[in-house]
Amino acid sequence: PPGTQESPAETNQSPGETNHSPPEPHESLAETHESEPKLCGFLLKQGGPLKAWKLRWFTYEDKKNQLFYYRTPQDVMPLGRIELCSATFTYPLKAEKGTFHIKTPERTFVLKAVTQELMLYWLQQLQVKRWQHRQMTTCPDSPSNNNSSSTAGENTTAESHHFLPLLKSPLGLVERKTQAEGIMVTLCRVQELVWILHKALEASQLEKRTCAEFLAETGEQERLELLRHRERQAADLRGQLEEVKAEAEVLRKGLAQREAQLSELQDDIRMLTEKNKAKQEVRTAGGQVASRILWFLTASHPQDDIEAYKTQNKFLNSEIYQLTGLWRTSSEQEKSLMMKCAFLEASNCQVESQYLSVLRQLQETKSLDPDQREAVQKMVEDALKRELKSVVKLRMARDHDEYGFKIIPDYEVEDMKLLAKIQALEIRSHNLLHQESIECPLLDRWAQYLAGRSDDDLCASPELKGLLRVGVPQEYRQRVWSWMVRARTRTIREHHPQCYQQLCEKSRTSAHPASRQIELDLHRTLTTNQHFCSPSSPALQQLRRILLAFSWRNPAIGYCQGLNRLAAIALLILQSEEDAFWCLVAVVEAIMPQDYYTKSLVASQADQRVLKDFLAEKLPRLAAHFDSHSIDVSLVTFNWFLVVFVESLPSDILLPLWDAFLYEGTKVIFRYALALFKYKEDDILKIHDSVEIYQYLRFFTKTISDGRRLIAIAFGDMNPFPRRLLRNRRALHLDRLQGELRELEEQQKEFVTERAERKDKELDTVASEDDEEL
Amino acid sequence: KMAIRELKVCLLGDTGVGKSSIVCRFVQDHFDHNISPTIGASFLTKTMPCGNELHKFLIWDTAGQERFHSLAPMYYRGSAAAVIVYDITKLDSFHTLKKWVKELKEHGPEDIVVAIAGNKNDLGDIREVPMKEAKEFAESIAAIFIETSARNAVNVEELFQKISKQIPPLENPEGDSNESFKLTRQPAPSTRRCC
Repeated sequence: PPGTQESPAETNQSPGETNHSPPEPHESLAETHESEPKLCGFLLKQGGPLKAWKLRWFTYEDKKNQLFYYRTPQDVMPLGRIELCSATFTYPLKAEKGTFHIKTPERTFVLKAVTQELMLYWLQQLQVKRWQHRQMTTCPDSPSNNNSSSTAGENTTAESHHFLPLLKSPLGLVERKTQAEGIMVTLCRVQELVWILHKALEASQLEKRTCAEFLAETGEQERLELLRHRERQAADLRGQLEEVKAEAEVLRKGLAQREAQLSELQDDIRMLTEKNKAKQEVRTAGGQVASRILWFLTASHPQDDIEAYKTQNKFLNSEIYQLTGLWRTSSEQEKSLMMKCAFLEASNCQVESQYLSVLRQLQETKSLDPDQREAVQKMVEDALKRELKSVVKLRMARDHDEYGFKIIPDYEVEDMKLLAKIQALEIRSHNLLHQESIECPLLDRWAQYLAGRSDDDLCASPELKGLLRVGVPQEYRQRVWSWMVRARTRTIREHHPQCYQQLCEKSRTSAHPASRQIELDLHRTLTTNQHFCSPSSPALQQLRRILLAFSWRNPAIGYCQGLNRLAAIALLILQSEEDAFWCLVAVVEAIMPQDYYTKSLVASQADQRVLKDFLAEKLPRLAAHFDSHSIDVSLVTFNWFLVVFVESLPSDILLPLWDAFLYEGTKVIFRYALALFKYKEDDILKIHDSVEIYQYLRFFTKTISDGRRLIAIAFGDMNPFPRRLLRNRRALHLDRLQGELRELEEQQKEFVTERAERKDKELDTVASEDDEEL
Repeated sequence: KMAIRELKVCLLGDTGVGKSSIVCRFVQDHFDHNISPTIGASFLTKTMPCGNELHKFLIWDTAGQERFHSLAPMYYRGSAAAVIVYDITKLDSFHTLKKWVKELKEHGPEDIVVAIAGNKNDLGDIREVPMKEAKEFAESIAAIFIETSARNAVNVEELFQKISKQIPPLENPEGDSNESFKLTRQPAPSTRRCC
């Protein structure tokens, strides 16, 4: 542990001594590893309720990427530690010099180094350490240690430009400088000493020389002469001194005069400045502020501040670079983990669904012992208890798609829970495995097609038809739909550009008889969709206006249950109330045959018979199977047609169906209906009980997992599908149906008259004529 | 082992009276305020003991809006029982009920068991259909009568129990118990409209 690290000898200054004077922490670069010096040293740490500065010994620990701190370098037990892997570093400008912060998710450490330089050194070192540690941990499973360390090294060098140019152990610099200064001082002192000594030496030498001269004169006369000479010299000097004194006196007087003048001048200046001040005071507030700013700027050494900001800015930039780098690696890692997870989950789903299928087959095996049967039953129950939700949560996957539909539909089927769960697992595993691989090329194809085309440029073409059959990517769906709707309603809209607004106005002022039914259904529309599930949702208000407007526009239909779903889908995709209204008009008036939604839904009923014809033709085995079990598919398929599969199919299949439907029309509904039966033909053929078949048919549409396969069946296997054949069959069945209806009416009349004649007492005629509504 | 009899039951009645809610309560013991309106029809089953038999109800829940009435024969054809539901807070729905009764008498299976269910019994304070009137009407046509609340799970089980009791027991209960006996009638080969 780092605590046992011997502190170097030069840190012998104990913290106790530094209590009074500002402490002088020592940065010591002890050579524990040959290559890298260990990062350790004294720093001040702010702590406690009083936020007092305390001196602490900090050491960095490589393995765990932690910074430990101790009371003294000799301590074994650290007082605490700072996790660096998720820490960010910063330093405030306004605080005392050398203060910096280490922010971890848990808390912020406020530390202080002696100098700004030292602080920057620490920060950079910590950044480097954090980066290196990250590199080590993100590629720990490289084949060999050598390799990983070298790649880590490369990475660090590669990324090194993100760091500030590293300060090379600033403390060394700082120390050498102070040493140099000391040396300089002593040098100066020595030089001074030398100089003094020189002077002394010179003086003594002069004295010695005069003494020698004096001693050198041999005679008394010469000595006297010499003395006199010296005397004269002295007198001369005295005279010179006198002169100099006088001169000095003159100069002093001059100086005094000058001083007087100066003081006068200063008085003048003072007066002037006072005047000036007065003037300044008179100036506007703006001027004052300006002068204050000027004063502030001059007083606060702008150059220093700018420098400080620059350094801080540089540092923070490097911090941002680093954090971005860390974030990027994290997100890449996350992505790869997500992919792995998706794959694992998909295979898990597959295994589970296979397991359930096996259980299901076992359940149906007749030759099991009662014990075995019981065991199987128990396993089934356990399997069903396991919530599918828990699997879903594993990948933090969305529960709803872009349009607010649940991705895994709810199955309300009581008796077929096992089957339903198998299907749900299959959908899930399919979604997990295939989503991205298919969507991307499709998106590219659409992007290519739509690039450079304005919405008016879109025109019917085999290419567009092909694209629509595969489905429009969510990004383009709104645009493509609104184009198709506009193409189908162009003439009406050109005639009455304000049509929708007028209809809305009309429904505001007068109540349509259909409004009761509309109100009743409004809150029961797409209740599993996020945008419709709340009673206060604005989508419901829009839906109400659309349906009311439509009931005024088309009095033959008014409102038919199911139109709410059509309008809701339109609203979800087109995101515009008026466009959604026109979409409803396009579907009901332009695409669907006449009388599809009118009083007795004759055209709808006719289509069911057409479907049965096609079923017998395209899927004869299945049609025979249905016949032999007296299954009337129209009991199930009727609403597929009436609401174009809304709420029968999961949204990822429903919307591509609508893409093609809005372009090609009702043929698409037939193609899909047949394709759905074809897709599950084998499963249906296995069921030999009519009740079970009905049950299966009721929910199987929600269990389709492979939308691409369904599309391939609908537009491939179901070919040829000539438009004329459909039209002829429709006409035929509609004719027959109307004939039957007439017959029925006649029968009814007959019945009534017959009963009237018999005067049967059993039935009263409570349902009087005034009950007839609409 | 008890014999299983399959009983086809259809639910008829005005829109929004709670047909689907009654079925949902009966089959799943669950209530949802905003259950989707039924388009066409929906199909659910539930098995219930009755005496020494098991009755498997094959329930066809139909759409309420008037224009869907033309589809109803598909569902009540071959039914052992019909539950006609009205909303005790909506007089209109009681009138619609009478129309259904009339239609069943005219076109329904001959010995179909008719049950009248006054739903939304929990909303007694805004009642529009007096219980007495409904009961008398039911008696006049020899129908089962019960007021229910799908929301509060009141009388829903009882409704189906009453129907169960009205179904005549099998004439030969000692028959092959492994085979489930079907009481659903084959559609009469008549010229009645069907789809």
